[in-house]
Amino acid sequence: MFHQTPARSIVLVLALVALALYAIYGGYFAREIVVEIAILAILAISIDVVAGFGGMVSLCHGAILGVSAYTYGILTAKLGYPTLPSAVAAIGAAAVFGTIVGWITARTTGIYFIMATLAFGQMAYTVIFKSRWLGGDDGMGGLPRFDLDWAGISMNKSLPFALYALLLVLLCYVAAAWVMRSAFGRTLCGIHSNEPRMRAIGVSTVIHRARAMGFSGLLAGVAGIIAGQHIQYISPELLFWTVSGEALIVVILGGLGTLIGPMIGAIAFVLLKHELSGHTDHWHIVVGLVLIATVLAGGRGLYGQIEHWMTRRKARGAARNA
Amino acid sequence: MKKLFLAAAAASLLAVTGASAQTKVGVLLPYSGTYAALGNEITLGFNMALEEAGRSGEFELVREDTEAKPPVGLAKARKLVLEDEVDVIMGLVSSGVLGAVRDFVDGAEVPLIVANAGNDEATGENCSPYISRVSFSNRQVSGPMGEWLAEQGVKTAYTLAPDYAAGHQMVEAFTQKFTEGGGEVVGGEFTPFGQTSDFGPYLTNAKSSGAEALFVFYAGGEAISFVKQYGSFDLKEDLPLYGSGFVTSPLYVAAEGDAAVGVIAALHYVPTVDNEINNAFVETYKAAQNKAPSEFTIQGYDAAKALMAAVDSGASDRASIAKALRGLKFDSPRGAVEIDAATNNIVHDVYIYETVKEGDGLTQKILGTIKAVRDEPHGCQLD
Amino acid sequence: MDAGFWVLQFLNALQYSMLLFLLSIGLTVIFGLLHFVNLAHGALYMMGAYLGISAAALTGSYWGAFVLAPLGVTLIGAVLYFTLIDRLRGAGPMNQVLVTFGLIFVFLDIARLGWGDIALGLDAPAAMSGTSHLLGVAYPTYRLFIIALGALVMAVLWIILSRTQIGAMIRASVENGDMAAAMGINVGRLFFAVFCVGCALAGLAGVVAAPVFSATTGMGISILIPTLIVVVIGGLGSLQGAIVGSLIVGFIETVGAAFLPSFAAVASYLLLAAILVLRPQGLIPARGA
Repeated sequence: MFHQTPARSIVLVLALVALALYAIYGGYFAREIVVEIAILAILAISIDVVAGFGGMVSLCHGAILGVSAYTYGILTAKLGYPTLPSAVAAIGAAAVFGTIVGWITARTTGIYFIMATLAFGQMAYTVIFKSRWLGGDDGMGGLPRFDLDWAGISMNKSLPFALYALLLVLLCYVAAAWVMRSAFGRTLCGIHSNEPRMRAIGVSTVIHRARAMGFSGLLAGVAGIIAGQHIQYISPELLFWTVSGEALIVVILGGLGTLIGPMIGAIAFVLLKHELSGHTDHWHIVVGLVLIATVLAGGRGLYGQIEHWMTRRKARGAARNA
Repeated sequence: MKKLFLAAAAASLLAVTGASAQTKVGVLLPYSGTYAALGNEITLGFNMALEEAGRSGEFELVREDTEAKPPVGLAKARKLVLEDEVDVIMGLVSSGVLGAVRDFVDGAEVPLIVANAGNDEATGENCSPYISRVSFSNRQVSGPMGEWLAEQGVKTAYTLAPDYAAGHQMVEAFTQKFTEGGGEVVGGEFTPFGQTSDFGPYLTNAKSSGAEALFVFYAGGEAISFVKQYGSFDLKEDLPLYGSGFVTSPLYVAAEGDAAVGVIAALHYVPTVDNEINNAFVETYKAAQNKAPSEFTIQGYDAAKALMAAVDSGASDRASIAKALRGLKFDSPRGAVEIDAATNNIVHDVYIYETVKEGDGLTQKILGTIKAVRDEPHGCQLD
Repeated sequence: MDAGFWVLQFLNALQYSMLLFLLSIGLTVIFGLLHFVNLAHGALYMMGAYLGISAAALTGSYWGAFVLAPLGVTLIGAVLYFTLIDRLRGAGPMNQVLVTFGLIFVFLDIARLGWGDIALGLDAPAAMSGTSHLLGVAYPTYRLFIIALGALVMAVLWIILSRTQIGAMIRASVENGDMAAAMGINVGRLFFAVFCVGCALAGLAGVVAAPVFSATTGMGISILIPTLIVVVIGGLGSLQGAIVGSLIVGFIETVGAAFLPSFAAVASYLLLAAILVLRPQGLIPARGA
């Protein structure tokens, strides 16, 4: 069940403000990091929606992000269509892809679901990887950013772009929170905790899970647009299953099932990665160990652990007062 | 922020202790992933040249890892230019990364010395007055093989290469020169790049094509696997192997073992090139590293030499460095070289060599030299 | 395309299938028995290749590597079992995926630190480095060795599983772990033994593949997908499933590579998706799975 607690709202606002200040005063590199965090945060939120609430661990979300980025790339860089409609279409394509995968895999659970999403993600990767028209392994360049010159804002500058990315994080979080609090979200949680019972009361779990993947795909699609516009160059690697794996790490690191956890996890992961690669070329091993440690410590992640302590204290306090 | 401060502190320290105005060089190479070994080797060569000349203090190096991935390479390039404010960028192993950074470097007017990436278009239709290449173009190391093979009287060939830009360009250039010389390419395949470990099916296809010769382009790990598997199928008599030199590069030919013996390839540098500069170079390298240098070492070495020559001619900022590099002539261990003023690509000799056994190891025996290979503009308009 | 061509491609497919079999049998039994998703299985395969190369350098012979590499990987597996696997047995697929994914990262850098970034080769034993004449074609002897080894392992495992008491215990534990424990089978010890054997097979696959494919730090990740596909198509936990699955995937990939490279890449995934949707338990599932 998802509740937008005051604690979560405070953390959300604090995190976004901190990132915005970092972008404004931190210089070029800080802005690049903020955008990286934003993309990862939205992707992680999209995964949290299905994995944290729906219990569906997906390894194809990187591919969904990639589908959005490539659709945007094809429409703008290859076919020359205007940016905003292309972005909307790209996000739509991602949502459709998510829905289709969700629908096909709706009857599978646990490890089979994970493998099925892996399969579909890899299929998308292979199709794009093999396409010479899409640039194949070399990727596709020339993706344009939105043109806000009429409002006096130049999106080609790194600060406005970083703030735009943060704005989208806020919007995606709010959207996800709203959906998870709605009847749809509660049904999804219900399916996660007891699927046969939900079916017994007449819920079509297949359609519901498909829709959840579709909504999640939509969010991932937004991340895809930012990713495509950021470096203005995309390559098939975006769709490889290890990207989804890394986003999953971020969700766990932050706190599964909290929606704010992914955001914290994204900040921690990106900062950790950059800090490490400044000192060594072997940062993989550190990330791997941190991940293992997180899971062994209870798997609640940074924010999840904080919330756990808070609720324990509250429970102890309540017990004392009782 | 911290990095900026440290870099500034380091720079001021060096400025106090060393030269007058330091040239800031962004070293943009893969230091993790499949091409890490190449990135490290190029860096080694680059530093070797600077140390030899005693001028390491004149250049401040900022290292960034491209991971051989185009988006990462582009992000790091932007960081080097916009945050570190380098005067010149050196590096790039992967043609994909080169394709990604090309527009940025050209637009930001920052000179880029390409130390490996062979993408033909970078000095062809997509050339730029800011992109100079001291390594090679894919055409230069595959076309001459086609020429030479046709001259030897070989009539038919079958081609294999990985399915990405470089692979396609190598095969195209080979095919063009081979057919011009009277040969015919009877068939060929492109193998999934980076994902093929088993070349068995492709070798079987090649054999059944009935061609007289097999021309391939593979590099790194794929080259090792391919050559070994080729050897295991015992095709040396029926289908001799020819390639673009990376297939038996001195950097990793030892891993290929006996399978590499007899393979003939075309490359712009082998350690056995016989001239004064190279003999001294190889000796110095062997003493320090206990093995022979490779074309990657030379590419880094020459990048430093070119940069030093440019600085010596008075260049101190981005525009002047770019200008000074264009048309630069100097002596490299591979022979006399020139950065073509028409395309900004290097002009050098290409050696046709055979890998032979020498004692316990393998070495390269030069069969022929194609002098001063210079690419046609192919649509390049620098002015 | 004469008969020789078809024989060669058939042998190519068979050899690749055998390699997949060596890897997938370990993974499938671990999953079937321990219900543990081990994404790091590919990393163990990679360690087998690298340890094999070092062992060969140390002992001066391929056979030294052949024996020592699986032992080395088994040791690694034992350590993993006591530190991680045992703790996570009941933890649910997500945590297992995450931890083993973390292990992939860890082993990746261990390989880089221990053996560097350049791809390394291992020489096949001199006796096998030529070609043999078989069915009218000349085929690399070493690849025939892989086929023979795979078949041998298949036969040995079959006999163990169907004819010995320990095999019966394993099958019982796969079918119904609780019941087996209730009958007095020391399921915990059995799991450990099976896990070690699975790791040994992964290590064996690595050292056997090294002369053909050479050892690279990415090899664990690139072999993981075909192996997972084999295991899921064949049926988790079943020996016959692993046999059938590896033959199917091996042949699709080889035939595809030979005739339709573009299609081949997607074909295995399509098949995987189809199985997952239509028959998730796989073609020949272990009973009770």
